[in-house]
Amino acid sequence: MKVFRLSAFLVMLSFLFILGGCIDNPSNSASGDGGGESQTEETKAEEGEKLVSIGYTGPLSGPAAYYGERSLNGLKMAVEEINNNGGFEIDGQTYKYNLVSLDDKYLPNETAANAKRLLQENNTPIIFTPHSGGVKAMQVFNEKENFLIGAYTSEPAVTAEGNELTVRIPPSYDGYIEPFTNYAMDNFGKKIAALPTSSQYGKDWTEALLPHWKEQGGEVVYNSSIDFSKDTDFFTLVTNALEGDPDVLFIGGPSEPTAKVAKQARELGFEGGFIVMDQAKLNEMKTVTGSFEMLNGAVGVTPLVNSDYPGTAEFIEKYKEKYGEEPGSEAGYHYVGMYAFMESMKAAGTVDDPEAIRSHMQEGLEAIPEEKEVYTIKRIEEDGGFTTGLRIAAVENGEIVTINVNE
Amino acid sequence: MDILTQQLFNGLTIGSVYSLVALGLTLVYGILHIPNFAHGALYMLGAYITLTLMLLWGIHYWIAMAVSVLVVGLLGVLMDRLVFHPLRNAPPIHDKIAAIGMLLFLEAFAQLIWGADYRTMTTPYGQVINLFGTTATMQRVLINIGAIAVMILLYLFLKKTYIGATIIAMAQNREGAHLVGINTNKVAMLTFMISGGLAAIAASLSAPINLVFPGMGHLVILKAFVIIILGGMGSIPGAILGGYILGFTESLGATYISNDYKDLIAFLLLVIILSIRPKGLFSREGF
Repeated sequence: MKVFRLSAFLVMLSFLFILGGCIDNPSNSASGDGGGESQTEETKAEEGEKLVSIGYTGPLSGPAAYYGERSLNGLKMAVEEINNNGGFEIDGQTYKYNLVSLDDKYLPNETAANAKRLLQENNTPIIFTPHSGGVKAMQVFNEKENFLIGAYTSEPAVTAEGNELTVRIPPSYDGYIEPFTNYAMDNFGKKIAALPTSSQYGKDWTEALLPHWKEQGGEVVYNSSIDFSKDTDFFTLVTNALEGDPDVLFIGGPSEPTAKVAKQARELGFEGGFIVMDQAKLNEMKTVTGSFEMLNGAVGVTPLVNSDYPGTAEFIEKYKEKYGEEPGSEAGYHYVGMYAFMESMKAAGTVDDPEAIRSHMQEGLEAIPEEKEVYTIKRIEEDGGFTTGLRIAAVENGEIVTINVNE
Repeated sequence: MDILTQQLFNGLTIGSVYSLVALGLTLVYGILHIPNFAHGALYMLGAYITLTLMLLWGIHYWIAMAVSVLVVGLLGVLMDRLVFHPLRNAPPIHDKIAAIGMLLFLEAFAQLIWGADYRTMTTPYGQVINLFGTTATMQRVLINIGAIAVMILLYLFLKKTYIGATIIAMAQNREGAHLVGINTNKVAMLTFMISGGLAAIAASLSAPINLVFPGMGHLVILKAFVIIILGGMGSIPGAILGGYILGFTESLGATYISNDYKDLIAFLLLVIILSIRPKGLFSREGF
């Protein structure tokens, strides 16, 4: 009996491993090496070189792990490239980067704890984090402890409060409100139903969009939110949202569940357009809906793969080669962000004075080599937000078309 | 589109999924008095196994589901033999801790082998159909029919077969069952098998209308616990009725009161029912 039991257990275990080992989702296969601490492939300072540690704290396990991994991949690529090209030089001294990443499970308190640890153990002048909660948690002490926050979040509030050592890498979502509204109103009509994600970010987005929509003479026929961590089925909510016969549906959250909401709206006979919050990416949504046909009339941020900045094509190719999937904007922005910080360090002539680095950021941005411009960042605002030329995209006739926005 | 019938249908769909999950949970509770928190993880694994078989070998949906039922059922048995059986004489809190441990282990395990990303299960039943003025997809109709079919089969199995009778006997009185010669270990394993199978059926049926990801068990497990408390711990009719009550409360509450309060309404209902019938709708008398 014992032997039987043991062998049954082993058979089951090996079966599971076989299953797990082979499954491959063609569109997005994540490498599952999440969790714990990891460093980029052993960076060693050679004779006469010095190492500068760069910190990253983001979700590397749990539901948001996929997002955190992709963000980290962008940083990793930039750091490895810089190091493989012999590092960078300030006043005759050669420096190389050492990227240290920690898992914060998407929890702001963990981010703060990680930041303290990074400062103590690695003395990092810059710490990246890809969520607004983490940014806010670090802002409590970053000026006092003197380090820069590389904030990957489109939340305008993180730069609005005048923190001197915060750099917001992607554009704030404020900028999308007007072009999205214009596009949706011109093409579909004035009635909107809002079904965003129920996170704080989702609520802030809604509060920014809906007043503007009303100002433009629009009407809000439904406003509620979806908790993607609690709702098994969205049919009920979508049915209610469609009851007011809206022309436009405002949706958002992580790409895949958001796409599911769009799909279910179509199944329930919705024929209008979608305004998609910037967290969700149109190309990632396609993997759930199967084709762009179902997303016709959706307006959102331009996916990185459809962008045409000077360095985009090269980056996409390199990323695909390394990770076997198409990069998202989080990888692209972290990549270009890392280069911006390096150039700023050069311009400031220091690797460990965050204030000086921050004040030379503008020169740094201008010095980024063209072939590294995955996004072209023209300038940094007083408040620390990067200004990227706003690009939005819509799905028309089953294809992504980019829309030019007058700045 | 008549919103009431549409929402009744939506409530029925979601209620069917809830009921199936709650049934597995209540069966195990009825026999062994273990609140099996790891049931949500079995649900998640059921979806992953079906999905893997479909993607990897292109196996047909129904066959994949059948294999998944078998595998998850066996996993349930394994869980009983390796974890709960050795703990049978331990204080009850140990079972609970062990169950939570299994939940965490299986979730981390799924993330390790399948990755953290969301996956989509595409079935041959995606087409939209119109049913007496309500819109549904074929898959949703299947969820409803499938759930009811499974419930009927389970009922027949328990009431009309000899093996089913041993399960009921054990639920009524463990020592008594033992005295009349029922092998309680075997019955316990069988119960875990059925429980795991039910989780796999529920997951495989409902995965196409949502997404497959390591945390998907959380979506249903908390609600399943509410349902079995509502219906009476260990009661099968209670689990079925409780599931549909919660499903309808959610869909109708979200429609006629407010979506933001739909969980509040569900839990308020729980409080009201429990204060009138403290043991739940059906206090257990051997199912």
